[in-house]
Amino acid sequence: MKYLIKKFIALIITLLVISMLTFIAFSLIPGDAVLSRLGINATPEAIANMRAQMGLDDPVIIRYFRWLAGALHGDFGQSMRYSTMTVSQLISSRLPVTIIMAVMSLIIIALISLPLGMLSARVSGKWLDGLISQVTQVIMSIPSFFLGILLTVVFGLIFKVFDVGGYVSPDKDFWGCVHFLILPATAVALPRIAMVVKYLRNSVVTEMKKDYVRTAVSKGAGKRWVLYRHVLRNALIPVITFVAMVVAEILAGSLVIEQVFNIPGMGRLLVSSISTRDYPVVQAAVLYITAIVVIINFIVDALYQVADPRIRNA
Amino acid sequence: MEENELLKVRDLTISFPTVSGMHTVLDHISFDVKKGEIVGIVGESGSGKSMTSLAVMDLLPDHAVVDPGSSISLQGRQMLGMSEEELRQIKGNEISMVFQEPMTSLNPVMKIGRQVGEPLRLHTDLSEEEINARVIDELGQVGLVGAEKLVEQYPHEFSGGMRQRVMIAMAIINNPSLIIADEPTTALDVTVQAQILNLFKKIHEEKGSSILFISHDLNVIREVCQRVIVMYKGHIVEEGSVDQVMNHPRHEYTKTLVASMPDNAADTASDKVLVHVDHLNVYYKLRGGILSGKTGRSQILKDVSFDIFDGEIFGVVGESGCGKSTLAKALAGLNKEYDGTIQTNGLRPQMVFQDPFSSLNPARKIGWIMEEPLKLRGIRDKAQRKSMVNDCLQQIGLDPSFADRYANELSGGQRQRISIGTAILRGEKFIIADEAVSALDVTVQSQILKLLLRLQKEWGLTIMFISHDLNVVRHMCRRVIVMYKGQIVETADVEELYDHPRHPYTRMLFDSVLSDRKRHNVKFDSMNRLLFTAGASTGGCPFYNRCFYRSDECRKKEPELLDTGKKGHKTRCCRLAK
Repeated sequence: MKYLIKKFIALIITLLVISMLTFIAFSLIPGDAVLSRLGINATPEAIANMRAQMGLDDPVIIRYFRWLAGALHGDFGQSMRYSTMTVSQLISSRLPVTIIMAVMSLIIIALISLPLGMLSARVSGKWLDGLISQVTQVIMSIPSFFLGILLTVVFGLIFKVFDVGGYVSPDKDFWGCVHFLILPATAVALPRIAMVVKYLRNSVVTEMKKDYVRTAVSKGAGKRWVLYRHVLRNALIPVITFVAMVVAEILAGSLVIEQVFNIPGMGRLLVSSISTRDYPVVQAAVLYITAIVVIINFIVDALYQVADPRIRNA
Repeated sequence: MEENELLKVRDLTISFPTVSGMHTVLDHISFDVKKGEIVGIVGESGSGKSMTSLAVMDLLPDHAVVDPGSSISLQGRQMLGMSEEELRQIKGNEISMVFQEPMTSLNPVMKIGRQVGEPLRLHTDLSEEEINARVIDELGQVGLVGAEKLVEQYPHEFSGGMRQRVMIAMAIINNPSLIIADEPTTALDVTVQAQILNLFKKIHEEKGSSILFISHDLNVIREVCQRVIVMYKGHIVEEGSVDQVMNHPRHEYTKTLVASMPDNAADTASDKVLVHVDHLNVYYKLRGGILSGKTGRSQILKDVSFDIFDGEIFGVVGESGCGKSTLAKALAGLNKEYDGTIQTNGLRPQMVFQDPFSSLNPARKIGWIMEEPLKLRGIRDKAQRKSMVNDCLQQIGLDPSFADRYANELSGGQRQRISIGTAILRGEKFIIADEAVSALDVTVQSQILKLLLRLQKEWGLTIMFISHDLNVVRHMCRRVIVMYKGQIVETADVEELYDHPRHPYTRMLFDSVLSDRKRHNVKFDSMNRLLFTAGASTGGCPFYNRCFYRSDECRKKEPELLDTGKKGHKTRCCRLAK
């Protein structure tokens, strides 16, 4: 319990720091919401009026605390671009898409990299290990958005397995949405799969040299028994930490990939809001993404304790 | 096949491919282990004794090449050339093994119960309940109390001695006909070592298993074995009954092994107090997290007072965790968290550490390492530094050409010589040797001890000699302090202490020692019983839980360090106060 409270306080502090940084960063870049709405031909009076109306006249600090006061009540304000929608409405329509895609990426990563990593470790030093290592090396160095384009061309245009640029919102047809998201999720997952495979393989190979493995062999355990009953859990401990970092990367990756696949998720929302200087939306979006990353890290921490009894008692 | 034949090794030859051709580590080794026999293999590191055990256990590294003329047969069946599956049936079933390092030989994320039961799970059809019952029974057999609870725990919750008991339980659970024990007590404290050896004897008596016992320590071998094989550089150089080999060694190597402790004959100590330690308390800082912000400190040393005289070798003994190294660090100025007095008369003690492999910078040549203290002394002249290093290398028995080598090209003994030389070059006459010979082979150990003794005389050094090895301390030191849980429990001149130990802990230490002189009558049963009632502090005597002579008074009252009446002999025990 004490642990949970500590983690919660850490979460709040992280969110505060991040929100402040975004606010300051945003006030430093040139241009503002008024200009992007009225266009460059607007009269100075119109601009000044609009400014006052939107509360942009006040200093950054005042605006920040005004925003913070609202945010603490769960009110992130109105979008400046879509004046009819609140920020919360905007985000709640976009967030599920991004989350579904991130979860799909994670599942794809787990499904492919676990067996592949184990296989690579089992044949370590042989030709197959070398092949896997080479292929992962190449995939690791290709950016996600390019993989996305490549996948679209191959599976969308050549094999025609997926509709290119199509999309159904998850509220209407969940599985339909999942279908559309498979390609972008794979594009995000692939470079990370390569990393996890490499990491897991090295972890298993390191563990295989440990004394406890020798003990298990001396008891008459066969290769598979040693690998799956003794080594796997030990080898996964460092991998879990690594996956926590991967989750943050998946979110960052999906921001870009949503542009490529034209998916109305948080990434698209964030990018378009930044370009129109719609700062309430940007603030809220950044906060949500930060919160997700911190919470996932927290979950991974908990997993870590389940996997490693030495940490549990410490 | 003879009736009582168990293991028969013939012409076992193993080599490893290296860049300069095949390197032979075992050269035509032949020996037998009969049913119900305990056979010891003794030799220094690199002698091939461990390789022999790994070969029998089919645990050789993949790149090892076994000569086709070799033969290892178990009860008449040839093991070399068996299929993987056939060998798997033997391992953990007919032959089992106990390894040297109990701290790393157990799977850290698997419950103790599952690990101990694994051989049954692999080799029998017993149900999980039956396996669990056998595990609990077996853990009790090896002297672990509360087995029902222990099976649910993980290795990190166990001490080294307990883990080794777990390893032994695991090795005997399938009633194997042969147990291979590879240095099973080397990593343990003396008191624990004696218990584990006793446990092997008990298992041998009760289960009738044969044991192949591998050790570098002849005293250990003599304690448990009937027959001994002496190995040297991949050959068997001598073989026979333990008494015969120890009392009438024939081979040159065995002779050096048997007689290998130098004596500190001439006493060069003066009456001048060099180091004065008075009411010293040392602490370690405990740090909480960033958010909790609380810091505390735990006390490691309590009220330690002693003097070291100029030119003497002063011994500090005790088991691991007693505060020996903390004392050394405080004296060397490496731990500032203390109160009380440390006076070293302006001397900065130089440390010689236990591990010669990690205490020398691997990226620098020996010459650079040894010149460093000279630079610190402010000797600017490069040629002068070089010649001083050369002189020193000769002093410590090495060729001056060693200055151009790197530490990883040197053996453990050579590295330890370098450490000692570097300490001397600092120009301070006070050296703290913290387990300086513990990691070395017996024969190398005696060379290093001789070197220390010689340098001590020639340079007029004062040495604080920290060791868990009571035999070494007896031979080296003039006066000794015995430490237990951060306190001095007894102090005296070495002869007085070894002839008339007063504190129960000191006596227990001596009882555990397998000394070559003066055999103490070891009451293992009483010792075993006592050692396993270790419990929480009672607020009285720190040794209360393990004490054979304890009374109600000791439970409540913490004893003072009192004079015994003999010169300089003090002990911290309630019985004395009466």
